[in-house]
Amino acid sequence: MRGKWKILILLAPLAGVTALVLAACGTVLLQSLGYVPAFGLDTLTLSYYRAVLGDPAFLQSLGVSLRIAATSALLAAAAGTAICAALVGTGRTRGALTYLVRLPILVPHAVTALFAVLLFAQTGLLARLAFALGLIGDFSQFPQLLHTAGYQGAVLSYLWKEAPFVAYFVLALMAGISGTLGEAAENLGASPLRSFFTVTLPLSMPAIAKAFLIIFIFAFGGYELPMLLGPTVPKALPVQAYLAYMSPELRDRPYAMVMYGVILLLSVAMAALYGLLTRALWRKLGGERP
Amino acid sequence: MNRHWCLKLVLATAAACILIPVALILVWSVTARWPWPDLLPVRLTLRTVRELFLGSAQLPRLLFSSVALAVATAVLGTAVGVLTARATELYAFPGKGLVRLCGLLPLLIPGTVFAIGIHLTLLRLGLADTLAGVLLVHVTVALPYCIAIMGDVTRAVGAGLEEQAAVLGAGPLRAFWLATLPGLMPGVLSSMSMAFILSYSQYFTTLIVGGGRVRTLALVLVPYIQSGDRPLASVYAVVFVGSALLIFFLLESAIHRMERGGKSK
Repeated sequence: MRGKWKILILLAPLAGVTALVLAACGTVLLQSLGYVPAFGLDTLTLSYYRAVLGDPAFLQSLGVSLRIAATSALLAAAAGTAICAALVGTGRTRGALTYLVRLPILVPHAVTALFAVLLFAQTGLLARLAFALGLIGDFSQFPQLLHTAGYQGAVLSYLWKEAPFVAYFVLALMAGISGTLGEAAENLGASPLRSFFTVTLPLSMPAIAKAFLIIFIFAFGGYELPMLLGPTVPKALPVQAYLAYMSPELRDRPYAMVMYGVILLLSVAMAALYGLLTRALWRKLGGERP
Repeated sequence: MNRHWCLKLVLATAAACILIPVALILVWSVTARWPWPDLLPVRLTLRTVRELFLGSAQLPRLLFSSVALAVATAVLGTAVGVLTARATELYAFPGKGLVRLCGLLPLLIPGTVFAIGIHLTLLRLGLADTLAGVLLVHVTVALPYCIAIMGDVTRAVGAGLEEQAAVLGAGPLRAFWLATLPGLMPGVLSSMSMAFILSYSQYFTTLIVGGGRVRTLALVLVPYIQSGDRPLASVYAVVFVGSALLIFFLLESAIHRMERGGKSK
């Protein structure tokens, strides 16, 4: 019985934090259903969802955010895995290079937006280099990468910050696998390349997939980068939602909360999908859940 | 050998991509004039550095409040991480999967949604627009990382030494303090370093929950970047990254000293 109390005491702070998170989600969902008593709205209704989901501007924002999240997460996972494999393959899993790889984790998103401006603007360093090399005759000929509907600037900034995160996140697992099972495969005659692609990479997949999920959810709900580097239209969903949230017409609050609700529900759905997929995969492989 | 050449190219490219933008803000932070299409600035200045210390942002106060908030987040987040990891790694109980899920929850719910949703709850608790409210939200954001890091070290250290200490007559707190905590310290410092960085770079959560009353470096940075004044934005970015690096290396060298100390025993 004493053990039981001990566990409850140890878990009490986490329970408090979880209550906060659930309260936050509950508030967003309740207000998205039109329940904001402070503003004189006290009937539950789906009409706000209907109105927002039928709005072409919203659908465009949703598309933009899904695209930013998917491309950022995919590119970062691929580049990060390559960096990680290179660190493991050259035996540099400790030391100066790993510190360099951790540097972008220290840099906030707003600063990566500044990087993008200084590098990719039409008067940025790359455009100057292109001019010096005679590739363009004037800065207006340099392709627009910032404040465009394609959100290239935001995706490139996420890539800079998150690819090293993936590398660092996967490093311990990949180094362990490569040093044991990968080595064994090579001893049995597999080429290093074959050993990497048939043993080390597949076994590192759980960590890579988890990093992909974290980045996808982060970029999907991220505010700073699309706010700083995006065009006026189409706005990313978190930017559009915050604009609606700040609307002086308080009775419009449920419209903002529908947008936040959609971000919330889709993020949770992504996480649930990830959970189901990994569980199915583990069952198929006959292994125990880690 | 061909393979190594290829891998080294990947590493060199990554290193260049990481370092070039950082070098670029260093140059821009002291640039007075850098007209198109020059590859180098034509005139340097210390205007930005003067502005930093004499300008309206009150840098010393700003640095102090940001660092204090991040340190408090690091200590609290790690403490909760230590407790949670102890429960999940050293005890058997039903519903452990659910507890693990609770620990991951702040990672699965975007910070923007959490900040907007929690604001109302904090208003009711009288914590909105206060430092304590912002601290609570930063701890929540950092917690999944603290729990993961502390879970790994707690599993590695185990309860063996502590049980021996208890057999020899130490009380439970004393046994933890003397037998287990020293082994956990590298993890404690990693967890603190991660939580520090997360709190130090929070923007949206601080903006919403702090309501403009709680000012941090990450918060004032954004208007400078929006303003389009590249030298001034760069100098603030340099201060931010420099101070984060400084604290990161202090913690990192403490971890190293500890790991070396642990090995020589």
